[in-house]
Amino acid sequence: MSFTSSKVTPWEQRRQRPAKGKSGKELAHESAEKHVLGTAVYIDDMPEVDGTLHAVVGKSTIPCGEITRLDLSGVWASPGVVDVITVKDIPGDIDISPAFTGDLILADGRVEFIGQALFAVVAETFDQAKRAVNAAVVEYKEEEAILDVKEALKRDSFVNPTHTMTEGDVEAALQSAPLSVSGEMYVRGQEQFYLETQISYALPGEDGSVKVFSSTQHPSEVQKLVAEVLDVPVNYVQVEVRRMGGGFGGKETQAAQWSALAAVFATRLNRPVKMRLDRQDDMVLTGKRHDFLNRFKIGFNEEGVILGADIELASFCGYSADLSDAITDRAMFHVDNAYNLHDCRVIGHRCRTNTVSNTAFRGFGGPQGMILAECMLDDIARAVGKDPLDVRKLNYYQEGEHTHYGQPIEDYYLPELIATLEKNCDYRQRRADIAEFNKTSQWKKRGLALTPVRFGISFTTTFLNQAGALIHIYTDGSIHLNHGGTEMGQGLYTKVAQVVANEFAVDIDMVRVSATTTDKVPNTSATAASSGSDLNGKAAQNACITLKKRLVDFAVDYFKVSADDVRFENNHIVVTGSDGKEDWVSFAEFVNLAYVNRVSLSTTGFYKTPDIHYDPKAERGKPFLYYAFGATCAEVEIDTLTGEYKILRADILHDVGQSLNPAIDIGQVEGAFVQGTGWLTSEELLWDDRGRLASASAATYKIPTSVDIPQVFNVELFNRPAAADTIYHSKAVGEPPLMHGIAVFCALRDAVASVADYKVSPQLDTPATPERILNAVMACQGTAE
Amino acid sequence: MIRFNLNGRWIESSEIDPNCTILKYLRTNLKQVDVKEGCAAGDCGACTLMLGEMTEHGIEYRTINSCIALMAQVHNRYLLTPSGIGRPGNLHPAQQAMIDTHGSQCGFCTPGFIMSMANLYQNACINETQALTDAEIHAALSGNLCRCTGYRPIIDAAKQMAELPRVDVRDISARSGVQAFDPAAADTAEALQEKDGHRLFMPYTEAQLQALLKAYPDARLWAGGTDIGLEVTQRFSQFDTIICVNRIPELAQCLAAGQDMGDQLWLGAGVTFSQAETALADSFPSFAQLLHRIGSRQIRNMGTLGGNIANASPIGDTPPVFLALAATLEIDGIQGRREVPLKDFYLGYKQTVMQPGEYLRAIRISPLGAGESLTTYKISKRYDDDISAVMFALYLNVQDGLITEARLACGGMAATPLLAAKTNAALTGKPFTLETFTAAAACIEQDYQPLSDVRASDRYRLQVTRNLLTKAFIELSQKGEAA
Ligand SMILES: Cc1cc2nc3c(=O)[nH]c(=O)nc-3n(C[C@H](O)[C@H](O)[C@H](O)COP(=O)(O)OP(=O)(O)OC[C@H]3O[C@@H](n4cnc5c(N)ncnc54)[C@H](O)[C@@H]3O)c2cc1C
Ligand code: FES
Ligand code: FES
Repeated sequence: MSFTSSKVTPWEQRRQRPAKGKSGKELAHESAEKHVLGTAVYIDDMPEVDGTLHAVVGKSTIPCGEITRLDLSGVWASPGVVDVITVKDIPGDIDISPAFTGDLILADGRVEFIGQALFAVVAETFDQAKRAVNAAVVEYKEEEAILDVKEALKRDSFVNPTHTMTEGDVEAALQSAPLSVSGEMYVRGQEQFYLETQISYALPGEDGSVKVFSSTQHPSEVQKLVAEVLDVPVNYVQVEVRRMGGGFGGKETQAAQWSALAAVFATRLNRPVKMRLDRQDDMVLTGKRHDFLNRFKIGFNEEGVILGADIELASFCGYSADLSDAITDRAMFHVDNAYNLHDCRVIGHRCRTNTVSNTAFRGFGGPQGMILAECMLDDIARAVGKDPLDVRKLNYYQEGEHTHYGQPIEDYYLPELIATLEKNCDYRQRRADIAEFNKTSQWKKRGLALTPVRFGISFTTTFLNQAGALIHIYTDGSIHLNHGGTEMGQGLYTKVAQVVANEFAVDIDMVRVSATTTDKVPNTSATAASSGSDLNGKAAQNACITLKKRLVDFAVDYFKVSADDVRFENNHIVVTGSDGKEDWVSFAEFVNLAYVNRVSLSTTGFYKTPDIHYDPKAERGKPFLYYAFGATCAEVEIDTLTGEYKILRADILHDVGQSLNPAIDIGQVEGAFVQGTGWLTSEELLWDDRGRLASASAATYKIPTSVDIPQVFNVELFNRPAAADTIYHSKAVGEPPLMHGIAVFCALRDAVASVADYKVSPQLDTPATPERILNAVMACQGTAE
Repeated sequence: MIRFNLNGRWIESSEIDPNCTILKYLRTNLKQVDVKEGCAAGDCGACTLMLGEMTEHGIEYRTINSCIALMAQVHNRYLLTPSGIGRPGNLHPAQQAMIDTHGSQCGFCTPGFIMSMANLYQNACINETQALTDAEIHAALSGNLCRCTGYRPIIDAAKQMAELPRVDVRDISARSGVQAFDPAAADTAEALQEKDGHRLFMPYTEAQLQALLKAYPDARLWAGGTDIGLEVTQRFSQFDTIICVNRIPELAQCLAAGQDMGDQLWLGAGVTFSQAETALADSFPSFAQLLHRIGSRQIRNMGTLGGNIANASPIGDTPPVFLALAATLEIDGIQGRREVPLKDFYLGYKQTVMQPGEYLRAIRISPLGAGESLTTYKISKRYDDDISAVMFALYLNVQDGLITEARLACGGMAATPLLAAKTNAALTGKPFTLETFTAAAACIEQDYQPLSDVRASDRYRLQVTRNLLTKAFIELSQKGEAA
């Protein structure tokens, strides 16, 4: 007698058709139905264990100085307060840095930015804890603060040493170049604004152990840091995350602090503790995309061919290193974008300032470097009086060349992709139409730009390029899948499940994904650098290969056939006998047969990216396994009286190799484009002259809404299998398309330039708010005060 | 005691603190976690719910931000949440369409979007066969932020849902029966809610409001709560005594000129932005267009004209318009009724002539006659749901090519919404020409000394205001309205 769940489609039916939901097919997100019903469980939705307390931190009000008095008696006396801690109450390490040192769990005698966590309080309710922190009496001996990049550069204030990448002889190249332009561009940062704010929920266990539910992209790091803070071995801590309500890099390193604080309270009090940052705390307490001050001089000939470039980037790191070193490197890796800069020098400073420690955000420095490349190309075009696209074409890398950090140019079909887009979007005709429109329209002006994206895929810290997966097959044929990657909306769980379904040729509903947790797959890397499906897809595939081999070996033995006679098809194992007759055994029946014959149906899979290396001392190597490509053509219209604008149209062609799931990939491309556009238009991250975050709420920090997207919006995938040995020859998609937003910025600049008949290249920092556009227009008109 | 219907089930409680928001009560007390908190400030829409009210046409729904609305606001009303309008395998059309178009990624914003879409479906689709317009869809979604999808699939879902089989959510709300409610029977002198020394009163008539103000002159008035609610959710303040002014039908009326009000249009202080959008669409199209850009659909469903004026913020959007229209305010309360021209209402930053125990009753404006025009511009970083850097409102009366009357008023340019006295003088009596406007623009700096803040610099505010005068001239000439 056996019971089969009504959720399981009868095997006989499954035999009649190819397995459903395999890799390469459009398939809804695994949680889509739960999303629309509101029943997908985020950490704050979990049923609270009786006795749960709520933690909140008290924040500093000065940017730099010594704490001379921290009187918390009023906090203790506030209604509902159960416990209050300062750095002295941390049992273990107070440093929670991911790579270097200096990221502190709570301030240690000194304050380094406004909003730094000074102490933490737990109370019976969240509101009580929020009210209690205001009762602290804090006094400081204030010191002079460094609040911006320029000041930091002047004072040699850095979180890590400056890096320089060189190629050829830049001085000579610039000297002999017939033409050159130089300039400076300030690129502002960006708030991640994941819809679910940071949250952790810690449940105390035996012997000082703890289980932490954390909204984090990096459970293994949270696990390690929590253990260090608690002064227990790593195996005392379990970290689990089923899903995040968005991450975008903001939950890569910066979820650890809240997890660790919750864990400290939970173990001290032996009570469950939830630490959720409300939006205002999240915005002030956590790092953002780095501002960059970019300076350049670029030499070229009369045609517009680049001969050399001298580039200096300076990133706004905040008070500590966090991930700023790798972020600044990635900016340096991407200042060339699609173009050969020839003889060049790229300097990258990591500026230390008295502001919150900036961190990862989709693109990880790449966008801040790439936008410089595109703006430089526009400047060259205006200097030589050509269409910017034509100047871009003259400067594409050629197969066989190498980048300024020594990576060879291979499989470089970006020019072909751009040419396809140019044709499909009718670039030339629209360019002519816009020129005509601008001639006759007095106040409204239109702009057009077609810009490419070339984004390097791999963690540039080579050892991080590894991943693990765990697969169990149960006796009814249902498959339990776990891997080290985290789900933040990008559809990773769906894609990896599709890989597994594909490997076993079973329907996707046989594969159940499960929460990422450190006790199933250990020592994982962050779900970051767009690597999620590249790494975890391969790790899961490797686990499948191991299991399939066991199953095939068993079949060979059991049915007395050769391995070639066994295949997985339509939810069945098909065994071809010596007489040529096919025997179709359902997947369920077959695995059960294997089970009773004592075949292990559980295994792990492991993957490390091959063929990459980088020497950080020499600043040379092959840091990336491959590049993801794309291009966007954007058209905008500005109002030269107010600086307001609209995006009339965007056409995007993006390369994801052979897509694992076209619906999810298109979603990533569109979402990233809009996020990148927001970064460069309405999202203005501002600090006041004291170093206080001025845009500290959703009321003052404006991410795009539904009316802000292009009125005509065409997105297509460039379906060409990746040359590299990636999972089913797909390409990573998380970060690269963010940089499609650069086309909108360049189009805005193009519209402004029309005011001066394209003779000048407008000075325009980011984001291009109406105010900046109006100023640029007036500068072009020569009417600025 | 609060009594309300949640997804068809009636719930009663006398244990709810008057300061408790709907979102908090649902999530913390009822464990109804299908409604999310993204900002607790009305800005993101993750907490959007459908609020239903029994009317003569049956239950009518609108979306609200449950994060800044008090539990009192659902008293005797119907709430719907995402898990209430659909079940696995039996989804609401909005939900099904959202899955079909891949409209969710992280899914955290999704419940809020579903509510906005389901509300649109309920109001615009169930009895209609016409496709939804882009404008209707954008308006419905204007208060919902999504950081993942880039909106395209969500907009597509909104278009597609109209084609799915009809579902009427009134059947869900009415599952366990509708309960009759007679306001006349309520004892409004008693607190509706009382807990931990906090009280909330809910008058249903102006007379009851006046009696309560007499008894509690220092009570905080709560209309839509879209300003005052933030004091509770962002500053964690708690009010001792709250009087709700959002259930008084007299204050929610829009009376057209000629309807007892002589030749003026009478707008009750409790009229919501959404109601005003409809009421002013024909008589003041430029005003209606502006209303369309105030906050989001959810905010406009809650926020009132009276709250916008009484809040006395220098960046409220309607006060400059009402100043340009030379509005008169009706104020009532323990000192009796009085009329105050809006231009005399603001005394300074967040200060008005209203005294404790008084309330704003109505705003009166005169309709536009031949040669009269109103032009409004809202300048902000983002088009929808943003606070103005500059709010520009210009009333002109042009007769035979001559400007006989001009009233420019701006927000965001001074400590209060303010008429541009010098600029107006420079326009008045002059011919309606670009030269006149250019000359008048030079006066802007004498009228206003704005601040620099996170929304714009002082320089931009001045520059754009000058330019807007030019723009107004160009657009008015193009329309031929004032020529
Ligand atoms: C996300 C968001 C977006 C917003 N966008 C805009 C925008 O674009 N433009 C804009 O102008 N505003 C905006 N606001 C602000 C707010 O919506 C408006 O000011 C609204 O008009 C306030 O009305 P209310 O009924 O909600 O007032 P409440 O918050 O209820 O009250 C505001 C103040 O007015 C007092 N009050 C209310 N009614 C009366 C009365 N009848 N008599 C005396 N005093 C009274 C209250 O005591 C309180 O002090 C926004 C707010 C939010 C949260
Ligand atoms: S939680 Fe953001 S609008 Fe209510
Ligand atoms: S799906 Fe993540 S915010 Fe909308």
